[in-house]
Amino acid sequence: MIVGALAGGLIGTAVLTSGSRLAQHLGWTRMDIPLLLGTIFTSERGRATAIGYAIHFANGLVFALAYGLVFEATDRAGWLFGLLLGAAHGLFAGGVLLNVLLPVVHPRMGMAWTDARSAPVLEPPGFLLSNYGRSTLLATFALHLVYGALIGLFASL
Amino acid sequence: MTGLRTDGYLPLADYAAIGDGRTCALVGRDGSVDWLCLPNVDSAPVFDRILDADGACLELAPSGLFDVERRYRPGTNVLETTFRTAQGSVRITDAMTLYDRSSLSPLRELVRVVDGLDGRVALNWAFRPRLDFGRRKLRLRERDGLLVAANGSDAFALSSWNAGDGSFELGRGERATLALTHAHMEPLVLPSRDDVERRVEEAAAFWAGWSDRLEYDGLWREAVVRSALALKLLAFSPSGCIVAAPTTSLPERIGGDRNWDYRFGWLRDGVYTLRALLALGCVDEARAFFWWQMHATRTTEPEVRPLYCVDGGIRTDESEVDVPGYRGSSPVRVGNFAAGQLQLDTYGPLLETTWRFWKQTGSLGAARPRELAALADFVASEWRRPDSGIWESRDEPRHYVLSKAMCWTALDRVDRLADEGALARRPEWRTAADEIRRWIEEEGWDEARGRYACVPGEDETDASLLAMALCAYVDADDERFAATADHVRRDLGRGPHLYRFTGADEIEGAFTTCSFWLVDALARAGRKQEATALMDELVASANDVGLYAEEIDPVTGEFLGNLPQGLVHLALVNAAVSIADGADPE
Repeated sequence: MIVGALAGGLIGTAVLTSGSRLAQHLGWTRMDIPLLLGTIFTSERGRATAIGYAIHFANGLVFALAYGLVFEATDRAGWLFGLLLGAAHGLFAGGVLLNVLLPVVHPRMGMAWTDARSAPVLEPPGFLLSNYGRSTLLATFALHLVYGALIGLFASL
Repeated sequence: MTGLRTDGYLPLADYAAIGDGRTCALVGRDGSVDWLCLPNVDSAPVFDRILDADGACLELAPSGLFDVERRYRPGTNVLETTFRTAQGSVRITDAMTLYDRSSLSPLRELVRVVDGLDGRVALNWAFRPRLDFGRRKLRLRERDGLLVAANGSDAFALSSWNAGDGSFELGRGERATLALTHAHMEPLVLPSRDDVERRVEEAAAFWAGWSDRLEYDGLWREAVVRSALALKLLAFSPSGCIVAAPTTSLPERIGGDRNWDYRFGWLRDGVYTLRALLALGCVDEARAFFWWQMHATRTTEPEVRPLYCVDGGIRTDESEVDVPGYRGSSPVRVGNFAAGQLQLDTYGPLLETTWRFWKQTGSLGAARPRELAALADFVASEWRRPDSGIWESRDEPRHYVLSKAMCWTALDRVDRLADEGALARRPEWRTAADEIRRWIEEEGWDEARGRYACVPGEDETDASLLAMALCAYVDADDERFAATADHVRRDLGRGPHLYRFTGADEIEGAFTTCSFWLVDALARAGRKQEATALMDELVASANDVGLYAEEIDPVTGEFLGNLPQGLVHLALVNAAVSIADGADPE
């Protein structure tokens, strides 16, 4: 189940990343996950994007492993169960991970306690990611549903 | 001086351009940024006041009466506008900044730095963005002290320092700064003041370094360098394309409907582009342009379109936009219908460019022998068709002599490439070339009037025939060509300026490119004194910062058409080079 979940995680992350890019092209959101992740480590856009993609794929696998552990623990897997986990994951990503935790760890993003010693330059996500476009939360949630369903499907094969 | 505007519009000559190799902004003499497309030159505008007096802009100027003086910082595309008022004077430095590797910088950034020079001056500013002529709604709101406007994949933020919330005062030695930042498909980057002001200086240093490397020491060096800088502004760096102009629908006649979108790359300009860039030592830019040209034509070969998008694409569909147009000149068009026309004169410059690139580098670069052969085959079989010609007439296609001459050039050049082993020869190329030359010299030569005809059997003088010498069909001192050039000057000349064809004076201004083409032709024919005198007058007809629009009213000197116009600046450089050395690099 774990191996299946990891395989699903790889494919699911590819779908999630591509879907996210598509949502940007369609004007649904300006959230650029690789850029947001990569600029934690470097201010140079090219390197940041490359690093960001690598981190995003690694994250996708780590979460897939977590999904796999849940499948093992409950001894059940399938696309529907994966979809439910994806829903929880999507809410966590949109409501906490990107919304709260990312600005906390991001050296180029301002928080309420950022003071005169810092000069944040990157637009924070805002309440429920709304700064990046009103459809951002919806797109993020929907893509995580697909991600979860794919992991569940592969884990059940 | 205030009240520079007529019905809300500045004279077109009152605009200067700034840019970053991806897009250009037009800054008015009264301190208003009235045109800017983001993120790229062919994107939707966020400032569009050149086409709608009530449209979008970024205003910044003293609040009372003022006099204005402006210049580009020497050798750069950084604009300095000095406003003098009764209370004192300030200088606004306008620049678009470049990609910053040392800090996280916005995708696009336009910066306006105001320095107090003396006295104490009250200034006002206003940020009035509008996306895609208002067709995409922008929500402008204040967020953490910034003005932010967003719609879908695009967001704009205006940061200001020491500039109040729309009005402020500045004394000697004080500074205020505004920065417009743009994000496309990504979060906004909201820069610090230090970074913004540093990037302005870095942009200035880049431009100065770039222009320092230009290899031209002849007459009119300042005008040539300014033209090179204007061309560099028009170059879309991600692809190498050079757009004809960064604007759409600035009219060829006030109140008229000859308003076209020039935010594309035209293939026929390539031959002038390559010559100018190589003469100035801009080898990298020449290679990039050639690469774009070959990459673009690959999508449609063996037929080529007259124009392509900056990324080589063919999304050129024309539509009309519901805005008034410059001083009521409507319609305002987005996209260009001419992309779908058959313009046979495009092939000659394209293959002449390839030939010159081969002679310069010994390689075909991005061109492939199979594709060049297909182009030549197309010309050999289709040259007898009527076409829309270089002036992109929207009337019935005709048999333009220049189009046939450029077909000859295309076939001659590909045959020469075969001579040099660059591709396999096909005998039908030379046969067709000979046939074309016979047609031109028999049908295209108007014996009664002693000149080449625009179209056989029609009494029309056409300044584009000057390109016959500039584009390798004939030597400039050829008897027939010289007679044609004299006819063009006599029939179409108004002072130093030329209209482009008979009757053009009733529908548009004089076509500045043709005037410089005449200089070029005279210089190549060894008539350097005439060429120099004409060049002096034409150089003096630029605006106060050395830029040209497509056309000029020969009586009033008023600019008409899109600006700054790449083809005019190319023609200026090439004319100066021809006077300097007289020879066309073989």
